[in-house]
Amino acid sequence: MTPIWREGDELPPVRFEPSLERVVRYCGLSWNFPPFFYDAEAARAHGMPGPLVPGPLKLGFLYAAVEQWLAGRGWVRQVRAAHRRPDLVGTPIAVVGRVGRVYEEGGRQRADLELAVVNDRGEPSVRGFAVVEFFAP
Amino acid sequence: MSEGSLVSDELRSLIGSTGPEVAVEVTRAVVLRAADVFRGSRAGLTLEPGSEVPGFVLAALEGDVPRVQVPEPLPRSLLVANEWRFERPLRLGEELRARSRVADIRERLGGRFGHSVYVQTEVEFREPASGALVAASSITLMYYDLERPGAEEDGE
Repeated sequence: MTPIWREGDELPPVRFEPSLERVVRYCGLSWNFPPFFYDAEAARAHGMPGPLVPGPLKLGFLYAAVEQWLAGRGWVRQVRAAHRRPDLVGTPIAVVGRVGRVYEEGGRQRADLELAVVNDRGEPSVRGFAVVEFFAP
Repeated sequence: MSEGSLVSDELRSLIGSTGPEVAVEVTRAVVLRAADVFRGSRAGLTLEPGSEVPGFVLAALEGDVPRVQVPEPLPRSLLVANEWRFERPLRLGEELRARSRVADIRERLGGRFGHSVYVQTEVEFREPASGALVAASSITLMYYDLERPGAEEDGE
């Protein structure tokens, strides 16, 4: 079985626009409404310059980026985010990735991916990890 | 400077405790809304009953699961980690049984936030008939107090 990725492959950055509208949609989806996600004054009261992109939304962006890289050739078994610094609503971010390991488990080919969310200055705000399983050819 | 543990016996006793089991359903509406949020598009979704759907719908499903109430050990909190794991893809129209659990409570000395407490909670999603695990989500919150000795003032 030929893997679609090789260890060490860099995956192309996937950009996301965490607009206020998208953040409010996320709050509605998860039914979770901390005001500092959408209210500038509430964010300033927490010492932030503006509303923050919810951490779980960034986990979903990691998932969505991996899906995009897979392009229907497999599925996501696991995705994990370690949050290092906040991202501000309205500031574009990107998910970057690298193939860490390609291996076989349970008769299926899998890959471990090292991920990060980076801001527009290239600084990582999230360190992530994913495990994908490829569909049989 | 020595100081006592922030993880009281009451707090420690909550490790392993679970919330009520509830039913959640992978509905068409949840899939569409989750795709809007995470992909910014509904393109490419297959919406036939039983079809595989993106795992990010867990973000919606876990919001319907009551959490164990954990007393806040310190006044401020921050999300430090979260995770989704899947034993198989989720399917449109399926109903799952879900329950939250306090997975771990531990403290950390030193670092940027000083003496802090980490609380990890998990939600497991299982097949109703067999009880087989389908997916799990995990979230770890860090509780801290910038007024305590050892904490820096430039916290998030």
